[in-house]
Amino acid sequence: MMKYALFPGCVLEGAAKEAYMATKKVAVALGIELVEIPNWTCCGASHAQGVDELALIAINARNMAIAEGMGLPIMTVCNTCTLELRQAKAKLDSDKNLKAKVNEILAKSGYEYKGTSEITHLLWVLASNPNVFEGKITKPLKGVKVAGYYGCHLLRPPKVMNYEDGKNPESLEKIISILGATPVEFDFKLKCCGFHAFFTAERDVMTVTGEAVDSAAKAGADMMVTPCPLCQMQLDMYQPEGRAAVKSKVEIPVLHLPQLIGLAMGMSKEDMGINRHISAVEKIK
Amino acid sequence: MAITLNIHRTVADKKWVQEYKVELKKGMTILEALNEIKAMQDPTLSFTASCRSSICGACAVRVNGNAELACEVLVEDLVKRYKSETLTVEPLGNFKVLRDLIVDWDPKFDRMKKIKPSLHPKKEFSPEKGCKQSIADFKKYDEYAGCILCGACVSECNKSTVDEKDFLDPFTFVKAAKLVLDSRSRDPKEHLQAVIDAGLWKCMKCQECTANCPKGLKPAEAIEKLHEATFKLGLTSSVGANHAKALYDDIYNTGRLDESKLSIQSEGLVAAALRAPFAMRLMKTGKLDPFEKVPVNPEINKIRDILKNAKEAE
Ligand code: SF4
Ligand code: SF4
Ligand code: FES
Repeated sequence: MMKYALFPGCVLEGAAKEAYMATKKVAVALGIELVEIPNWTCCGASHAQGVDELALIAINARNMAIAEGMGLPIMTVCNTCTLELRQAKAKLDSDKNLKAKVNEILAKSGYEYKGTSEITHLLWVLASNPNVFEGKITKPLKGVKVAGYYGCHLLRPPKVMNYEDGKNPESLEKIISILGATPVEFDFKLKCCGFHAFFTAERDVMTVTGEAVDSAAKAGADMMVTPCPLCQMQLDMYQPEGRAAVKSKVEIPVLHLPQLIGLAMGMSKEDMGINRHISAVEKIK
Repeated sequence: MAITLNIHRTVADKKWVQEYKVELKKGMTILEALNEIKAMQDPTLSFTASCRSSICGACAVRVNGNAELACEVLVEDLVKRYKSETLTVEPLGNFKVLRDLIVDWDPKFDRMKKIKPSLHPKKEFSPEKGCKQSIADFKKYDEYAGCILCGACVSECNKSTVDEKDFLDPFTFVKAAKLVLDSRSRDPKEHLQAVIDAGLWKCMKCQECTANCPKGLKPAEAIEKLHEATFKLGLTSSVGANHAKALYDDIYNTGRLDESKLSIQSEGLVAAALRAPFAMRLMKTGKLDPFEKVPVNPEINKIRDILKNAKEAE
């Protein structure tokens, strides 16, 4: 049985609670055991890093040290959490002086970072282990056209996020096909939803949000799916503003990856918390 | 194997896509393919290149949507990556096109002037005494000196694509990081203020710049270093800085970010109030719960010590 130390990240405890619900239910059903890392903290979300980079490397070294103590690899369900943890790990593992410096800081609080736990993402785990789906897809999503939206931080920077070629990734389409649905190619597949510049460049952010949704709708997608809860929030919650910014007419539902999987495994829309979403919820049957 | 290059052409007001076929040879670069087309098939096709060894930065073009150095990237690698024997070659994105694959750098250099892109040495330096710095200080910006000004980093920049007027090109942020982090500089604050005014906090953090730099520079990280410098040099009065600090403070206070307070912390009370209709929309489906309190991490004292000790260690 596969077993991971789960790093849920802040939004799964807050605005994207439904993603946590769906992740837990789907993991159990697929036979993947998830143990939440006790007392984890925010990864810095790529913003706190801009206040004090060393401090955030140390904060994430603490997160990883706790998982190391559990003897488990770390699984995340958020692109930015994955990037921040892997970025910290890459820096610590490639720079002895930095590692020593950070361990000196951690020692005062009783932790030690060793570098023994790998960090992966739900999408990568599933794409590498398609056998977990065998016999489980009881309600294949036949005829449903799904636009897979990767989100920046699962693909870039490529040296740190190197699961697959970030310029032509295939993992998400692979899962969509396993679920019986049809992956849709669209221009904005690898582009940015704007989430991280929400407070500083709002007008531009709404434009990219709208363009992403519009591009998927124009390509004929019935819905979008994303492995990142931040992208999901941006494309779902701000879809009205986004569509207005680019004058797009079609409203389209945006699912978290585990929600789409749950639907194909016969779980209900309510089980997956899809009614908590804002945009075009009624289009999900 | 013959490969097809669909090249986006521009001559004066005319734009079209022209198809060329080239016999793929082992080790053939995009630049070699372009040279062969120009020599054997179509002398009107225009592009720039000089060093043919990834040094001069003159040959960057966009292939299948991503910027590449034409003299460096192998056609066979691209055929493998995109699983296709047909490739699309365009001029770099976010540049004005002069003709075919040739882009105009003049507006970019004009924009770069906003950051006053030259180093003014500290007063203590003189021709007699020289301009020395420690190896550790040199290493703080050394990497950024490797920029060859090829323009690949801005080609796919998501912020620049929407609006570049209130932003800088990623390579200009790289240059700015060099000027702000160089210990020999007399006026890092002046450079930094100019960068803040020119849009430092508007970066979308999409990492396209870092993904596309053929020299392995990390413009997105340079931007983060500049963010950090605003705190170190005390130039932090902006929404972007407030937002970064709000997240940092959340980690200090509870260990986790507090969504219900974020807008107020970042934008101030009035701006946050203007978001009330949006908040109502979220409350209706249960997305946002203004009364929910983020629990305090049981190990909060240890977490605070980590933040404090890290600050001291710098
Ligand atoms: S990370 Fe920022 S500067 Fe770099 S490409 Fe994205 S928006 Fe542009
Ligand atoms: S930062 Fe990299 S991609 Fe950008 S101009 Fe310099 S060398 Fe080219
Ligand atoms: S020709 Fe000089 S970098 Fe390619």
